[in-house]
Amino acid sequence: MRETYGRLLPEMRLGDLAGKLIVIEGTDGAGRSTQIDLLKPWLEELGHAVVDTGMTRSPLAGEGIRRAKEGNNLGRVTQALFYATDFVDRLENEIVPALRAGFIVLTDRYIYSLMARAIVRGMDPRWIRSIYSVALKPDAVFYLRLGIDQLLPRVVFSRGFDYWESGMDLYPGHDMFDSFCSYQAALLTEFDRLSAEFNFQMVDAAADSRTVCAHLQQNILHLLERDSRKNFMSRLYNDSTAAPQADDTAIYAVAAPAAAPTTNGNGHHPHATHHGQ
Amino acid sequence: MEIASGVRIGPFEVFAPLQPAVSMVRHYGEHHFPGRLIVVEGIDGSGKSTQLSLLHKWLESKGYGVVFSEWNSSPLVKDTTKHGKKKKLLTPATFSLIHSTDFADRTERSILPLLKAGAVVLCDRYIYTAFARDVARGMDRAWVRELYAFAVKPAIAFYFRVPLETAIHRLLDGRDGFKFYEAGMDLNLADDSVESFRLFQGRILSEYEKMIPEFGLTVVDATLPIEIQQMQVRQIVKAHLDKAKELRVQA
Repeated sequence: MRETYGRLLPEMRLGDLAGKLIVIEGTDGAGRSTQIDLLKPWLEELGHAVVDTGMTRSPLAGEGIRRAKEGNNLGRVTQALFYATDFVDRLENEIVPALRAGFIVLTDRYIYSLMARAIVRGMDPRWIRSIYSVALKPDAVFYLRLGIDQLLPRVVFSRGFDYWESGMDLYPGHDMFDSFCSYQAALLTEFDRLSAEFNFQMVDAAADSRTVCAHLQQNILHLLERDSRKNFMSRLYNDSTAAPQADDTAIYAVAAPAAAPTTNGNGHHPHATHHGQ
Repeated sequence: MEIASGVRIGPFEVFAPLQPAVSMVRHYGEHHFPGRLIVVEGIDGSGKSTQLSLLHKWLESKGYGVVFSEWNSSPLVKDTTKHGKKKKLLTPATFSLIHSTDFADRTERSILPLLKAGAVVLCDRYIYTAFARDVARGMDRAWVRELYAFAVKPAIAFYFRVPLETAIHRLLDGRDGFKFYEAGMDLNLADDSVESFRLFQGRILSEYEKMIPEFGLTVVDATLPIEIQQMQVRQIVKAHLDKAKELRVQA
């Protein structure tokens, strides 16, 4: 049975959410959206229906947040709550219905990024946790971790510094570069803390995107193999010739990356940590 | 926004939700800004806005620096709320969150800085409106109180108490129905908007009654003549502001 982080929204039934909720977390520039773009067609090829979602994509609040961020007067509490509105709109109207219909939901960031940003901006961690106590616990959280040294060249040589990614609202008077370094370092520290608390599966995002993807694929396959529907199917086909055999399972074989870029926040083997969230 | 003199702005610094359900021990404190915050609460049709507007004129005539802030009026957020209401996108949870976002913007942008500047800030509806409405929509009582933990505690919170039927009579005099969310039509309580309004506002009234002792609301009998109510309101406000001499703009 699926769980929330403590509180249940009105009308939210958790009993029949058969799909899988997979979170890709990580700081700015860690390659989250690249990975989702690789994972989605791969999962669909395997026969899974996939929905992908991410911050500010809600029909309710996405546009409002974008407009608010164009100006220079979006306060910290307001920002935290605007994002919470966006999140809950997607949770209720997108994520939960998709899970109920048996989809795999791939989400680019989840409550952890939102909590990290709010905490770095001085919000009380207990306050922000209380707000997100209504969120569903995901089936897996992959944390694409990238140190500042590795992040900097990606930013400098691609899109350049962004006001909000540099936390300019937090460090008025700094230049973009100094502000970026301070802000991203604070975020990393907070992410590492959250990683231990919420059992993220840490992935070294400095590796090339194919290696990272192969690693993610392997872990996602383990997750899907535990799927109760699959167990049911295999019981159904127990001694039948119709059972999915060599040919079908072949597409599940993913070449293991040469050096598995994996450590878990607690030092546990990552596959053993799904349930502990 | 930076707050001087070591007062960190953010959740829990200024206002204490009086919640036994919140188990963590926190350091709560009332604000120590020179300004004064006065709010009015009550269901639609209770006459609270009329009373606040009369109070506003009186305070100005006495030379106070007075500023007015209305529920659901943040320039940054209100378009989103309007969009959500028009397209009927709002669930009890997102209704609650978008209103708290609006309130947060008004708190950060105007209420806090104005209180620091020494103004008398008048709010038509405050966090108690959210507590009443959101709980009437089925939200968890403790969750909603936590959500607004960043709010400044008002010096006086007037609650204009009125029987449901009186309010409905006042409101229907001049129009023939209620708006979708105003009547709680999103809850499917009744097909008819007046009947839905009655059921929904009935729930809200009972939430307000519980909050009178919880938050020490100052009750005004809103069935009395307007002049009598205003006299009572001015008396209470005067007694409070006389103690706050630094507020006087004129000598």
